[in-house]
Amino acid sequence: MTLQLTSILAEVAPHFDGYVYPNEAGTHPLWGVLIVLYPYITGLVAGAFIMASLVRVFRVKALEPVYRLSLLTALAFLLCATLPLLCHLGHPERSYQIMITPHLTSPMAIFGFVYAWYLMAVLLLELWFDFREDFVKWGQTEPGLRGFIYRTLTVGVTDVSDKALALDHKLSWIISIIGIPSAFLLHGYVGFIFGSIKANPWWGNAIMPIIFILSAMVSGIALCIFIYMVLSWLRRRALDVRCLDVMGMFLFYALVIDATVEALDLIHRTYSAQEGFYVMEFMAQERLFFTLTIGQMLIGTLLPLLVLGTLQVARKFVPNGIRIGLYFTCAVCILLGVLAMRWNVVMGGQFFSKSLRGVMSYKLEFAGAEGWFLGIILLSLPFIILTVLIKLFLSERMPTSGHVPHRMDNP
Amino acid sequence: MRFFNLPPQIVRLILLIFAILVSYLVARTLLTPDTFRDYGFFRGAALSEHISQHKPVFAGKAACGERHPDVLKTLAKGSHKNLSCEACHGVVSQEHLKDPANKMLKPTPQICVRCHEASPSRPAWFKQIIVKDHYSDTCFECHLPHQPNEAP
Repeated sequence: MTLQLTSILAEVAPHFDGYVYPNEAGTHPLWGVLIVLYPYITGLVAGAFIMASLVRVFRVKALEPVYRLSLLTALAFLLCATLPLLCHLGHPERSYQIMITPHLTSPMAIFGFVYAWYLMAVLLLELWFDFREDFVKWGQTEPGLRGFIYRTLTVGVTDVSDKALALDHKLSWIISIIGIPSAFLLHGYVGFIFGSIKANPWWGNAIMPIIFILSAMVSGIALCIFIYMVLSWLRRRALDVRCLDVMGMFLFYALVIDATVEALDLIHRTYSAQEGFYVMEFMAQERLFFTLTIGQMLIGTLLPLLVLGTLQVARKFVPNGIRIGLYFTCAVCILLGVLAMRWNVVMGGQFFSKSLRGVMSYKLEFAGAEGWFLGIILLSLPFIILTVLIKLFLSERMPTSGHVPHRMDNP
Repeated sequence: MRFFNLPPQIVRLILLIFAILVSYLVARTLLTPDTFRDYGFFRGAALSEHISQHKPVFAGKAACGERHPDVLKTLAKGSHKNLSCEACHGVVSQEHLKDPANKMLKPTPQICVRCHEASPSRPAWFKQIIVKDHYSDTCFECHLPHQPNEAP
């Protein structure tokens, strides 16, 4: 008995500091890097969609070059958004069972409906109405499998008269308007999943959905900048600097609001100093120093805020080449910063004991079901899907209809 | 194709949604397990399958008696005669049946105390000790579990 206890302590003790309950003395936290990726990817979906709706609903003309790219980005990431969760559960091949036996008794089960609504009723419909005219045209000109795909995607509707197209644009606009609250719902729901856990002071917070959706907007716009620049670079095309400037501007605005709300949360937590505050303070200063202070605050927020803010004021004095470089750097920093933020939320909430008197240390593994190798595979999957989507629907050699979404939305 | 003068893309969408719904309902009927919802929101047969996979079986005294008849004979004389061997030695494992070198559990004082610790819920005639007042580092220095009425 004593020997058993000693061996358990010998195995467990290095992972803990302070007082923890015996049932918390596992060798791993229950949720690992896969649960970090799922809010990250879902946030990128919501953010990329909101970026696209800036063109469609808010009529920002300068962003037209990235309208379709951001919608396809949202689709590619949405197709992979649930994959980390399914892999985490250990039996991704059973995922169809979620759909054949749906229920409404747990927040996570309701998430299935949220994802399905967003994919089927918002994103696919908006894409279809936007691309329908092109599908008809490409279906007639393209040979082979490619042509067959386009003809299938028209679902047999070949009417591209002005009246039909006007209806398409009108419907697309309506779906976009429905899509904005849906995007907020999609990612706000991720925040709700964490924020509703009232037993955990790190998560249980009414402001969590708002923080999640704001950081999602920031990361989504940053992702669109990143993908637009990489795609232009791969195609040896000149970047539309005006478009980049406007994206940078919206990124800055979103980042200001996001940073403000997160700072308010921090101030509120510090001033009210509720019972969990001291362990959280210790976590922020010790356990999560690199991801929270360096990653999330410094690289992910302050640095881009400074650079983008300076560019807003002194845009004229910075040459195009340097400006493009700075936008790219900011986009990458923000993408890393938001990933760090998801890590801090998901892992941070598990690193301290429910006793609020002890913390756990955790070393990320390379291999295994919760290792970072699988994480990288899952994170690169949307980029592979996006490559296929871009080759199919944003191909350089196939002319698009050239319609301008915002001009035709209200005929 | 014209239904109520609806535009063609709307008609196709409605048909498509209808087709998706119908195929979903068909798939749901075919794929939902037979015993689903028998007891609750799970496959009822999962319970019986699980139980049949892990059937708990005690070997019983007779099985022990095949190899240890002398111990059983000794045990039958004392007041522990009604106890099962596995009550103190643990469940007979397949490993022990295959190779006697895989020993059964050696009873510890904790096993004795399970029954013999003083408790008001036990009848007065039942032999009980107050552990902290009793020399209790090891029971077997003074007691023989197979012959509790005799001293070693």
